Amino acid sequence: MNDGAPVMPAPGPPRDAAIPAAVERTLDNGLRVVAFEQRNLPLIAAQLIVGCGGAAEREEEAGLSAMVAALLTQGTTRRSATEIAAAIDALGARLDAGSGYDASVVSVSATTPAFGQSFALLNEIVRAPAFLAREVERVRTKSLSDLSLTYANPSALARLVAYRAAYAGAPYGHPLAGTAATLASLERDRVAWFHERFYRPDDATLVIGGDLTVDEAFAFAEGELGSWRAPDSPRCAVPDAVIPPPRARVVIVDKAESGRTALTVGGVTIPRRSPDYAAGVVANAVLTGYSGRVNQEIRVKRGLSYSASTSLPARRLPALFTASTLIDHGRAVEATEVMLATLRSLVDAPAGDDDLISRKATVTGGFYRGIETIDGIASALAEHVLFDLPLDELPRFPGRIAAVDASAVRRFAARWLVDDLCVTLVGDASRFAADLARTRDVRIIPGDQLDLGSPALEAEVVPVPPLLDADAVS
Amino acid sequence: MTALPTISASAIHVSPFLYVDRTLANGLRAIVIPDRRVPSAAINVAYRVGGKDDPAGRSGFAHLFEHLMFKGTSRTAPETIDRLTEDVGGFNNAFTTEDITNYYEVIPSNHLERLLWAEADRLASLTVNEANFATEREVVIGEYDQRILAEPYGLLDELVNREAYRVHPYRRGVIGSPAELNAAALDDVVAFHATYYRPDNAVVVVAGDCDVEETFGWIERYFGRIPTPSSPIPRVRVVEPPQTQERSFTHRAANAPLPALEEAYHIPEAAHPDAPALEVLEAVLGAGRSSRLYTTLVYERQLVTSAWASADLRQQPGLFGLRITCARGIALADARWALHEEVERVCSEPPSELELERVRTQIASALVRARQTNNGVAMALARATTERGDPAVVNTDLERYLAVSGADVQRVARTYLRVENRTAIEYLPA
Repeated sequence: MNDGAPVMPAPGPPRDAAIPAAVERTLDNGLRVVAFEQRNLPLIAAQLIVGCGGAAEREEEAGLSAMVAALLTQGTTRRSATEIAAAIDALGARLDAGSGYDASVVSVSATTPAFGQSFALLNEIVRAPAFLAREVERVRTKSLSDLSLTYANPSALARLVAYRAAYAGAPYGHPLAGTAATLASLERDRVAWFHERFYRPDDATLVIGGDLTVDEAFAFAEGELGSWRAPDSPRCAVPDAVIPPPRARVVIVDKAESGRTALTVGGVTIPRRSPDYAAGVVANAVLTGYSGRVNQEIRVKRGLSYSASTSLPARRLPALFTASTLIDHGRAVEATEVMLATLRSLVDAPAGDDDLISRKATVTGGFYRGIETIDGIASALAEHVLFDLPLDELPRFPGRIAAVDASAVRRFAARWLVDDLCVTLVGDASRFAADLARTRDVRIIPGDQLDLGSPALEAEVVPVPPLLDADAVS
Repeated sequence: MTALPTISASAIHVSPFLYVDRTLANGLRAIVIPDRRVPSAAINVAYRVGGKDDPAGRSGFAHLFEHLMFKGTSRTAPETIDRLTEDVGGFNNAFTTEDITNYYEVIPSNHLERLLWAEADRLASLTVNEANFATEREVVIGEYDQRILAEPYGLLDELVNREAYRVHPYRRGVIGSPAELNAAALDDVVAFHATYYRPDNAVVVVAGDCDVEETFGWIERYFGRIPTPSSPIPRVRVVEPPQTQERSFTHRAANAPLPALEEAYHIPEAAHPDAPALEVLEAVLGAGRSSRLYTTLVYERQLVTSAWASADLRQQPGLFGLRITCARGIALADARWALHEEVERVCSEPPSELELERVRTQIASALVRARQTNNGVAMALARATTERGDPAVVNTDLERYLAVSGADVQRVARTYLRVENRTAIEYLPA
């Protein structure tokens, strides 16, 4: 072109980012405290990471750790649920409690003038929850309603089925939100037992930072949580995973009424602490994002779906890699084949070192954007705490990503992302199951027979014995 | 009962946005706000065109067009914007509302000039061919299927707009209909770009790690040369007549697991003096777990699993929506009765000073949080300029909220939450 229009300018030299340094101390009661200072806005955040999550639940108590977390904000020995809600809103604060497979997390963030009172509320809900029977019933009812919404969403359901198919009765197999049957059976006393036993200072870390000095942060920690005492009982332990050997297969949940078919391809891979984690993150980055291979093949080239993505979560035990999309029932076979072929392309047509420059930049860019906010810095530090990584690994993360080369990515993909993958489809099976069965090992589960409470995924199957007996840890 | 902790909203220091606002000779408005803390910058380019401006018989077109803006120009290949952002560790996206289309990028700051060039390039010389037009239309219909058909209650927003408005184009929504999307042709694309994508219909905002004068220099260099057509920009002048009778509709869907209801009331435009009181009313009813709807309907009476209030303030008169999803085993009529009791309560007595102080603190805290990211800052300025006509309102919003009294809240509730001004959509399991 020569119409006088300016040509694309070159980028200027890059500028370095500063990551606030984390300082840590352990209180006399065993509580580890990680503090940082970041002063650009009048905001302070704190996260308490309790080292016991859903992975430690017994099969028949699926949903217990989530219920404990949900109930923390629903009343203490001093305040009713309504009073806690009124207090948080009056402070303009955010106070949340939730449970993942690996840990439970209670977090608070508030403007500087509101932080002291907000942090005192965190202390109160962690240490003195009331677990009133009527609140247990309320959370149970709400959880059951939420479950019916989840089950009506094919993408959400496919994800739950993929986890169960991959892990069966091993930790991470059961749904964190429980099932209708397990939720119905959870007793108030078990909720209190779980809290008393596992919410404890010697198995917890507080990350706190923002618009304050680290000394002020330690003073807040000591002032509120310094008098917290650990029980004599042993700490939470998740048994070694007994993950079933993977094999290539297709699990279809037949739901003719769902508007579209959800596809999730899953494979169990590596834990966060694995030395291959950085290679896994880069392999995942080659696949996901708008410019990732999966979205390019499924959306951009073929218009099969509005979006397609992959995920490699960070977990203590080997994590489930997933590749997901949502398609028309009539194109489910094509989408399945394209998805599997795209994963295989990491081996057949591996990304070169030059291709990796941009994919690695997406990881590093996402990392820096993640720590743009106070909550983001706290979460990044909390992740390091959760996986027992040294805190000085946080600023090293961009360097670890930079060091991944093409052969490491190809090796990771060949080992984890090609063979023995489980394909989960939730949709109108009459439109695609027969076609898939011609070439693949297909199992069809009628939608009304699906039981996520069963490691075998269907009702009528006798559950395997629980992996963690409550008494085995006492 | 333990004493309620309190702080005063006025104790929260919300620093003003210190931006520089200039208009180029060709009518392009440019706003720059530097923050050199992290080496990253955000660009927002907002155009005053949205779903309400869709051509006749082409509902969903403005949104389809948004997708086509990623399909290359006379100088660049399709998806160039993705290459220039994602591949260097940034991201980009865009959204279309009833009133505006906003494109944004977040990039390492050493790429700022290059992305300003790319935004100017697609404003000046978009090219779309039959092949990528057809592919992208499939993608948009896929988005319709995913967001509207597959999502439980996905059609509810569409139904509310369709029934609450009788003549105003807001009735068509933004996503449009697959039939009308399929009717669109390449000629429509060319005409739409020529009509709405012009410098005097756009605002460019840059927030983050930049030098103000250098950035204005780049904006002048790349955008300043784009000519402005002499023709006027067509504007929607249709006025929705006042609603005089309640409207009620029932929709059944196989993927609606629990009965849901939205009741929507006509309210004035975003720049109207009643807007702050309507937002405070929204917060009194629906913000947080101590809000009235949550406390009464979700928590105490357990009639619904979620309750939501929204003052959907638009460039032209919008809607105040109240939405509930029944708890399992609860009849919609019972939940609806309780919802109406809450509406009557807020009409019959003003909220207490304690309740208002709670809302003020929530709003002030939210304003601080919204300043955490460069893109949040840029988007706030872009939206204020295009939807409310003036970026300066971002610095006076807090004052306006703090000035809302209990009597103001009661007055707007009485003025707008009237039965004859209401459109109700029941969304029931099939």
